[in-house]
Amino acid sequence: MQELQQDTRYLPEPVEMQPLMDALADAFAVEIEGTRESVATWYDTFDWRLYNRGYLLRHRDRHWHLLDAGTGETLVSCRAGAGKKRVFSWDLPAGRLRSLLEPLLDVRALLPLVTLHSGDTRLRILNRDQKTTVFVEFSRQQVRGTDTLLRTVRLIPVRGYDKPMRAVRAFFDKHEVVEKVPLFYGFEQGLRAMGRAPGDYSSKFAIQLDPDLTARQAAVTIYRLLLETMLVNEEGIIRDLDSEFLHDFRVAIRRTRSGLGQMKKVLPADITATMKEEFAYLGRITGPVRDLDVYLLYERDYRARLPEMLQDGLGTFFADLAGQRKVEQKKLVRALRSPRYRQIVTSWDEYLRSDDPTPSADADVPVIDLARRIIRRRYKRIVKDGRAIGDDSPDEHLHRLRIQGKKLRYSLEFFRSLFPDDEVGVVIRQLKRLQNNLGEFNDLSVQQEMLARSLRGLRPGSRRNMELSAAIGGLLTNLFHEQQRVRKRFARTFARFDSRKNVALFRKLFH
Amino acid sequence: MSVIAVYNIKGGVGKTATSVNLSYLSACQGNKTLLCDMDSQGSATYYFRIRPAKKFNTRKLLKGGKHIDRNIRGTDYPGLDLLPADFSYRNIDIALDDLKKSRRRISKILRPLREEYDHIFLDCPPNVTLLSENIFHAADRILVPLIPTTLSHLALGQLLDFLDEIELDRAKVLVFFSMVEKRKKMHGEMMRLLQDEPGVLPCAIPFLADVEKMGIYRQPVAAMLPNSPAAESYRQLWDAICGELEGP
Repeated sequence: MQELQQDTRYLPEPVEMQPLMDALADAFAVEIEGTRESVATWYDTFDWRLYNRGYLLRHRDRHWHLLDAGTGETLVSCRAGAGKKRVFSWDLPAGRLRSLLEPLLDVRALLPLVTLHSGDTRLRILNRDQKTTVFVEFSRQQVRGTDTLLRTVRLIPVRGYDKPMRAVRAFFDKHEVVEKVPLFYGFEQGLRAMGRAPGDYSSKFAIQLDPDLTARQAAVTIYRLLLETMLVNEEGIIRDLDSEFLHDFRVAIRRTRSGLGQMKKVLPADITATMKEEFAYLGRITGPVRDLDVYLLYERDYRARLPEMLQDGLGTFFADLAGQRKVEQKKLVRALRSPRYRQIVTSWDEYLRSDDPTPSADADVPVIDLARRIIRRRYKRIVKDGRAIGDDSPDEHLHRLRIQGKKLRYSLEFFRSLFPDDEVGVVIRQLKRLQNNLGEFNDLSVQQEMLARSLRGLRPGSRRNMELSAAIGGLLTNLFHEQQRVRKRFARTFARFDSRKNVALFRKLFH
Repeated sequence: MSVIAVYNIKGGVGKTATSVNLSYLSACQGNKTLLCDMDSQGSATYYFRIRPAKKFNTRKLLKGGKHIDRNIRGTDYPGLDLLPADFSYRNIDIALDDLKKSRRRISKILRPLREEYDHIFLDCPPNVTLLSENIFHAADRILVPLIPTTLSHLALGQLLDFLDEIELDRAKVLVFFSMVEKRKKMHGEMMRLLQDEPGVLPCAIPFLADVEKMGIYRQPVAAMLPNSPAAESYRQLWDAICGELEGP
């Protein structure tokens, strides 16, 4: 059966609410239910993990509501504490909401995006029996921190009372309240008022390069995007919202450094040399906190690796790391607020906008030629080095290969848009598999070094340190065995990367 | 999804007040709920300030489908709809008797509505008729408000015997005490006597002026006076029924 749907209309600027309500009360028998005040805050991660899955999360009246962004349907509701500046999945109440969001959020925090203060006045349109036939809800929403005020009126039909609904619609049409608003009008407009838009940030590097660009133009485009990524992550690092702001910031630094190294003769030599140094400095000041973040994330894994009797020693170990992190975070914030940092990013930004005419060897080469050349060179190098690695080769060789892999990966990602997407996709997937193996191997080395360092620093004597050294000993053994297993898998993983089919694909794309 | 018929052979035992309040409480919990007023007097319809359409009658009801869809009305409460009664229902047995499979007609009519609603309440007229028999077939539970008196007890026995006769499971029947007056000794004795019988819920709705007054303010007492003892006793009853619906 054709049913009348509810509709929400936007109150245009010149229409005043009170006179409109008065006119409605003159035209119909109306009962006013009163005004309900509420505060709603919408949350998502900085990289829109919920929105990208079609979810919206609202905090209102000490409850969480997970909504379907397409239909507006409430999927889960549960009690919550007061709103916070950030909420991790482990801060959510145990239950359906948490189990649904845990895998999506991972280590990212939910952050308040926009807060709306609403006052809703509900009226009932009555018939001669004083029966409600239509609900009319006037709503005023103030976007916190802005002077944006959203005004709407919602008409909610009651089943079987189509005639009064039509009459109420006609009333609003006559008063020029006509234009309907989308489902999540408040959320969307609120975001806009806050200067954000759904999906405006992603950790993935994606850039569309025009194949007609010169190498200089392309490089500048790439560097600018990377610099933007750094800048938008700054605030989250300084406010210490979650570990991924710093992570993304550092990846952008590494990508820039890798670009400067590989596209060596695209910018003038002095610029390349200076910026390489500056970005190396940025890498250094951000390193310690990131290392500690990574170690702290191992806690759960380490407990799982140890028998219960050895786990106690870990408590102090991680408390100690958390303490160190606090100190390093302070230093990092100081560095990011220093004139030196400001000077690096502003001068880089200015340079990238300057359209520098200074010639350099590769400046005017078509980007596609440069891309092929770089990728081909990196690829050849990996194949050569990888083939030389046998079961007895020193660890050092695998570490070097890992760095080579990263460089190839970055250049593939820089230039991806210049090649057929599905084929580059295959190439990247194959490379990723190799990188996973090498990355795992490296992580395990780093962890063992870190643990060994801690062990050396322990003074014997106290019971606490004895327990801790036992735990570290257990972990070292366990990690060592795992690393050997990963090492054994290398040969097969590399052989797959070096398969005839894959080699042919590389040749086809980049020669 | 369940169909709950509120029924007693005797009249004036609080059936309509029960249907109105329980269906309201069901909707308050977010269940899409339909109350079908099957009693030609149309009391439930009146409580919700609804008038049936002029064209609606027994014939339309028994046709079902879109004839019913068109006549369902939203109440003043979100999630709660009502199918109004029509005075022509007083002759519904004659109309039913003319139909094929006259004992299953109401089941058939309700089938599409089971898809749409989480709970359907049937406010039934008193007496044992062909309509009641239809309702017993259609209902998942028969909720019997029982005034704790000897005569009411007899009437309950008659209902159970009748279910045996038409080969329906006695376990469908849920009994609770209605219009209970504390000061009456017999009420207390009767309740003690019956409390351990199968299907008897440990719930009693007291005889209260607030319930009686529903006819004046024409709202469920649970909506009008949510903090009253009457509202509280209906909430307890609804919780007990939900426990039964979920099963052991």
